Amino acid sequence: MSTNPATQASFMQKNQFLIRRLHSLSGILPIGVFLMIHLVTNSSLAWGWFALKGRGLAGEMSVSEGGVQYFAHEVTWINTQVPHLFLTEVTLWLAIAFHCILGVYYATGGKNNLVHYKHQDNFRYTLQRLSGYFGIFFIFYHIATLRWGWTLLLPTDTQWSHEFSASTLALALRGSSEGWTTAGLFISLFYLLGVSLLVFHFANGLWTAAITWGLTVSEHAQKRWGYVCAAFGAGMMLAAWSALGSAMLLDYDTAYSVEASMQDGHTEPMIDHDQMDMGEDVTLEANALDPEG
Amino acid sequence: MGAAQASIIGSDERKANRKVAVVGRSVIFKIKRCDGPGKPWRWESFKVPTEPGSNVISSLNWIAANPVTTDGKVTTPVVWDSNCLEEVCGACTMVINGRVRQSCSCLIDEYAPREGDEVVLEPMVKFPVIRDLWVDRTRMFNALERVKAWVPIDGTYNLGAGPQESHEHQQMRYALSECMTCGCCVDACPQFTKQDDEKNWEGSFIGPQAVSQARLFNEHGTGKRLKDERMDTLTGPGGIQDCGNSQNCVKVCPKGIPLTESIAAIGRSATVHSIKKFFTGK
Repeated sequence: MSTNPATQASFMQKNQFLIRRLHSLSGILPIGVFLMIHLVTNSSLAWGWFALKGRGLAGEMSVSEGGVQYFAHEVTWINTQVPHLFLTEVTLWLAIAFHCILGVYYATGGKNNLVHYKHQDNFRYTLQRLSGYFGIFFIFYHIATLRWGWTLLLPTDTQWSHEFSASTLALALRGSSEGWTTAGLFISLFYLLGVSLLVFHFANGLWTAAITWGLTVSEHAQKRWGYVCAAFGAGMMLAAWSALGSAMLLDYDTAYSVEASMQDGHTEPMIDHDQMDMGEDVTLEANALDPEG
Repeated sequence: MGAAQASIIGSDERKANRKVAVVGRSVIFKIKRCDGPGKPWRWESFKVPTEPGSNVISSLNWIAANPVTTDGKVTTPVVWDSNCLEEVCGACTMVINGRVRQSCSCLIDEYAPREGDEVVLEPMVKFPVIRDLWVDRTRMFNALERVKAWVPIDGTYNLGAGPQESHEHQQMRYALSECMTCGCCVDACPQFTKQDDEKNWEGSFIGPQAVSQARLFNEHGTGKRLKDERMDTLTGPGGIQDCGNSQNCVKVCPKGIPLTESIAAIGRSATVHSIKKFFTGK
């Protein structure tokens, strides 16, 4: 063995415990907390109308239109009002990268034996690792296409934009404004599988973290915490599926016009436009007028 | 056919098998054989007549007296390790129908109730094979030394009477003290990897057995004096952090030791120990 890998190995070996605990922690904070916020925000596509209705703002809107409006408002808020958004994002990406790289390193160190020991716990052990591998591909694809704008990997040429969050999301999932293309269908299924596995990964990770850190010592406590994690996971799964389902099934033209009218609403009071079209300039002006933009 | 090749059979199924076991039948023992360390392995099958209550060891005894395979080939007697024959020493542990357990307590009626049913015997998968079904479990005893699994009473003066202990606490420790270092837990653990080279033992996962024994002695009134040293080992390379929570260990433990509770308890101690160490220095 040459000296360089040896010293690297010994650094990892010496700090194994600390790094492993940081790996456990990073899965909850910030990644898990972000996932919760992300899924709750996205599922507003499904429940947004009810929230508007509760405040008496739903008017004549359909459930789908209300969802789009609520969601679009949330996304615009995040993208324009959250302070230090870029710093937050980079921190998150680094945390994910840390969790992924170490996760693969740890997972490849074990050797699953589910064939011989078919227990529910052992199944989850194996699925935790498989969902991790799959999740890396999914998260990379998800961020690259919808955040970094790598349209090359999308089933459509249209970039995702926060001004048209729901309609461009539907395009990215389905491939066309009319409905599913073949590539779009594949991407939609990839998403469904990806988010489901990641929700499992987080819920199961919460269960194992409680053992790792020594919170649930007795078998009884582990079981009880298991029910809590399962219920939590079911709730997260519901949020994930309703978000994905709403985005996949929404009517493109309706969503687009709702979003476009919100752009108008943003600019209209300030500038008196003779003709309103959805051109690039309107979007830019909307940004320019924004105090944070 | 009717060969009961189900790799895992539960206790209900075993009980049911015992009821329908055919008296005077012969069963096939398919055995994974190896002539010595580093030598290639092969399968050999033996047809063995059963008696009421016969077990894997008595069947291996029969094979030793009649080392002829089902093909009629005369071969060497199969080698295995055993000692107490009542499931308290752990020496005869092997993989039976894909699952690790003691062979002395493995009744043929439960595993192969019909004529021609097959029982598959393999050596444990995580230890170096000495010959056939006999493995070298030195690594586990080395692990016990590493976690100082003893009560320190040697010294130059009389330590006096030990501290008082509640009945409840004693019961908890008794369960842990039943460990016989058989190796079932580590053999079934997906995180415990086979290491033929002694030099790699320290860097790879120490396994549930040593973790649980460290807890047993940490919980002892006098034994806890070595707790910090034990926790240094268990938060070092190959320590408690390598547990992956598959919980196989507790399911295969023949003594029903709450190994996953020990792992969580040591996890808790490790959290406290490492935070303390971080703020107080060495």
